[in-house]
Amino acid sequence: MVLEKGMITNLQRLSLHDGHGIRTVIFLKGCNMRCLWCHNPETFSQKAQIERIEQKCISCGACVEVCGSEALSMHNGKVHYNVNLCKHNGDCTKVCYSGAMHQVGEIYSSEALYKAIEKDIPFFNSTGGGVTFSGGEPLLQHQFLLETIQYFKSKDLNVVVESNFNVSWNIISKFLPYVDHWLVDLKFINAEKHKKWTFTDNQKVLSNIKQLDNEKVSYELRTPLIPTANNIKEELLAINDFVHQLSNCKQFKLNPYHKLGEQKYKNLGLEYNLAHINEMSHSEFQYWSNLIKK
Amino acid sequence: MDMKEYYLQKIENLKRAKAFQTKEKIRKEGLLDEDDYGRIAVPDEGWEIIPNHEDGSFYGIKGWTDNFCDLMDNHPTYIDENDAFAGRWIYFMSKMRPNKWNPSYPFTHLIANQEKYDIIHGIGDDAHFAPDFELGLQLGWGGLLKKIETSAAINQGEEQEVFYQAHKRAIVSIQGWIKRHIDELALMIQKVEDPLSRENLLKMRETNRAILHHPPKTLRQACQWIIWFHLASRTYNRDGAGGQIDTLLQPYFENDIKNGIIDKEEAIYYLSCFLINDPIYWQLGGPDGNGGDVSSEISFLILEAADKINTSLNITVRVHDHMNQELFDRSLEYLIKHKNAWPRFSGDKGLISGFMKNGYSEELARKRIAVGCNWMSLPGLEYTMNDLVKVNMAKVFEVAFEEVMTSSEIKSTAELWGKFTAHLAKAVTTAADGIKHHLKYQKYNEPELILNLLSYGPLEKGRDVSDGGAMYYNLSIDGAGIAIVADSFAAIEQRIEEEKRLSWEDLQSHLNSNFEDENGERIRTLLQNSERYGQGDAKGDKWASLIAEHFSALVKNESDAEQNQCFIPGLFSWANTVGLGKKVKATPNGRKGGEPINHGANPTPGFVVDGGSLALASAIAKVQPGYGNTAPMQWELDPSLAKQEHAEIIGAIIKTHFELGGTLINVNIMDKEQVLTAHENPDLYPDLVVRITGFTAYFAMLSKEFRQLVVDRILEN
Ligand code: SF4
Ligand code: SF4
Repeated sequence: MVLEKGMITNLQRLSLHDGHGIRTVIFLKGCNMRCLWCHNPETFSQKAQIERIEQKCISCGACVEVCGSEALSMHNGKVHYNVNLCKHNGDCTKVCYSGAMHQVGEIYSSEALYKAIEKDIPFFNSTGGGVTFSGGEPLLQHQFLLETIQYFKSKDLNVVVESNFNVSWNIISKFLPYVDHWLVDLKFINAEKHKKWTFTDNQKVLSNIKQLDNEKVSYELRTPLIPTANNIKEELLAINDFVHQLSNCKQFKLNPYHKLGEQKYKNLGLEYNLAHINEMSHSEFQYWSNLIKK
Repeated sequence: MDMKEYYLQKIENLKRAKAFQTKEKIRKEGLLDEDDYGRIAVPDEGWEIIPNHEDGSFYGIKGWTDNFCDLMDNHPTYIDENDAFAGRWIYFMSKMRPNKWNPSYPFTHLIANQEKYDIIHGIGDDAHFAPDFELGLQLGWGGLLKKIETSAAINQGEEQEVFYQAHKRAIVSIQGWIKRHIDELALMIQKVEDPLSRENLLKMRETNRAILHHPPKTLRQACQWIIWFHLASRTYNRDGAGGQIDTLLQPYFENDIKNGIIDKEEAIYYLSCFLINDPIYWQLGGPDGNGGDVSSEISFLILEAADKINTSLNITVRVHDHMNQELFDRSLEYLIKHKNAWPRFSGDKGLISGFMKNGYSEELARKRIAVGCNWMSLPGLEYTMNDLVKVNMAKVFEVAFEEVMTSSEIKSTAELWGKFTAHLAKAVTTAADGIKHHLKYQKYNEPELILNLLSYGPLEKGRDVSDGGAMYYNLSIDGAGIAIVADSFAAIEQRIEEEKRLSWEDLQSHLNSNFEDENGERIRTLLQNSERYGQGDAKGDKWASLIAEHFSALVKNESDAEQNQCFIPGLFSWANTVGLGKKVKATPNGRKGGEPINHGANPTPGFVVDGGSLALASAIAKVQPGYGNTAPMQWELDPSLAKQEHAEIIGAIIKTHFELGGTLINVNIMDKEQVLTAHENPDLYPDLVVRITGFTAYFAMLSKEFRQLVVDRILEN
């Protein structure tokens, strides 16, 4: 059997919002949606890419010297990065000692991943926590993911998968015996809006959620509440109706939109399209949360 | 009148008075990078020491007794009608001396190495072990006087006579001080009009009359007795050790309740007054030896009292397998509610198994409780020099590195390790020799006149606690700077040996120029981004474990059973991170010359990108010195985690750290914005308390440099 390898953007320790207890979230790289509000733009592409963290740069110029494609240049003692010229070969990251030029995306085997998270197992055990696979869309790397989850389960770890469910049910069904809990995003009921804000259809998502519900496995639904997108009464009520027709959904909650990802877009040389939208106030969020509780 | 409301009002008044006193103290005496101690400012034209030596200081049993008794005889009284207890601490007598070591007992033979390795030698330092308050509560002042008399009759001799006389004089002068309060109360009672206040003052007088000679019988009397002893001991030489406060007070509380003398509200009021008097180190809860916990109702009331006064507090909750979960939950609730750095937590498992490795029984180990800044002590049973002696391992590393560069033909981390361990051995021996010198002559320098009274042995044997009077000598030597050294080894191993990105000579020249030469800053970031201690399975972690193990073995090796000297290692820097750092030039971990060394056993700030709390808890558990002294985890807890809904998670992190072998956790929860504003304008936040290391302090009382250090620490996390 050929062992699969996966492309990972990041491991986040001590996460408290992605399942029960203390968890390490493993972010898999690559996504099949392009939600405009996404705060993890580094997970869009499945390939490794360059991220430039301006604040860390000490202007030593070493990166400019090695870059063969003129993506980097020095003006007035400051480095400029042009993502369009970048070949993402990572040459600059090898000479950048400060970590300002950083490669996002690293290849891991299941064992290597286990080794990386192993140190927090005592904390998982004392809080009923474990590991959450997120992304991007983790199920895009389903072969690697399945192997890894089976391996993790053999080590008795609690496994949560966070997915947009925009994949075929065939894939999802293979995971059912191993996943302890699912976190599924339910963004819109309205198909047109779904398309407009995520650039994908939502039929598959909705039918997969219904299927999952029939399987009687442990899962919860989460709706990112995005100003001007779905903080609209009829949309939220439609989502709410959908949820109430399900029988086994353990929890349904709204997650407030935040702009913490904005800097990441800059670092990756990407444009952030929601720069004009403000985070909503706590009281407004409460209002919508109360609405769906009814 | 609703008494609950009435007590709350009194407590509020006491808090206000304390805030005012703290301000006064800063105005009159300036800033201080230490505990607040509950001390109030020295009055104008206050008491002056009486030197008995040409250097202007005083030494020896006569000098100390004369000074202490004179101070007690002239000490101002302090009574606040809002308070249940009389007395406050004012004079830092031991600090008023221009010189702390008797020049007749020089240690010139040690100075060269003490300086070479930047050792804080502790010679002439005082207290830092725990009295047994139970002894005092049983005997009272009269009983102690009697004990002196009986012991003096058995141990006759010239030196003994002086010894017993001195202790007797000390007690009599303390009684005189108490008596003056009783007299003062009589005057106040005549003047006060409010009937409730009058009743309080009457009770205060009655309490003090009752314990002037005799042992206390009620909760109020017991608290007042402890306060007097402690205030005297503080005045004498700053002693801050407490004890197992819940079991100490439990019988008095239960008896009072049974006899209908007090109700719970009154008890909480007493305990609030007791706690605000002085932020002494008290332990709550702990194993009872029968698979249960020693905590009882009063443990909860003490927490409730702490909740009400919420000033600078040093309460430690003992965490163990059979602990009272409710007590633990409550302590977490208050920790999160107030974000005022109390309580802190000690880990039974690591402490007990570690202490037993010195050859002591489990029963004895269980008695060794959290009563000091970073330290544990057996109340009344041992002399320790806890937290007084530090070896600056970063300085030792500097010496070793320079030696490799000047004299080693082959330069390698193996060679450097060889030199480092050889110098560390010399440094530890120098530190131990300093302690031995101290033990030999401290009685001629500064006898422990007050703490002798509540120790088992000194009075019985007629010998000072530092001079064979104590039962055990568990002598502490702490290593400081572990992260600087571990990261330096790791950076060299990774960047020079493995990746060959620079040579030893390159590194040396960057260090010599303090990274200010060409390419210096770039190399500094390279070194800084090496695999650091705290990341878990990183090179730095491997080196840190090696260093901790080696340091422990060296310290243990100094023990001498024949001399009844057991040396115990710890990893701690106290508030000396700045001072110790100033002595060390640039280091291979990318630290610039003169910058602070790492805090205690903590990794250097910024050691991981996220999950800092878990990484910290794992890393520090792995470098525990392992013989019953601590390598505390200084935890700057992110306010976003510090919410009641996460109490269980915080509790689990604490418990897991202890399960992994950790010994002590000091927690700070500070809002970034608030700390920054307070740093700019400390007066805006007179109540803001920070846990600097084992001790807490008012942020506004710290020097600017020290505030900066706290701010950096909080921002980095
Ligand atoms: S990754 Fe991009 S910026 Fe870096 S060296 Fe290669 S082409 Fe240049
Ligand atoms: S190598 Fe790194 S630190 Fe140096 S100029 Fe380039 S980005 Fe900045």
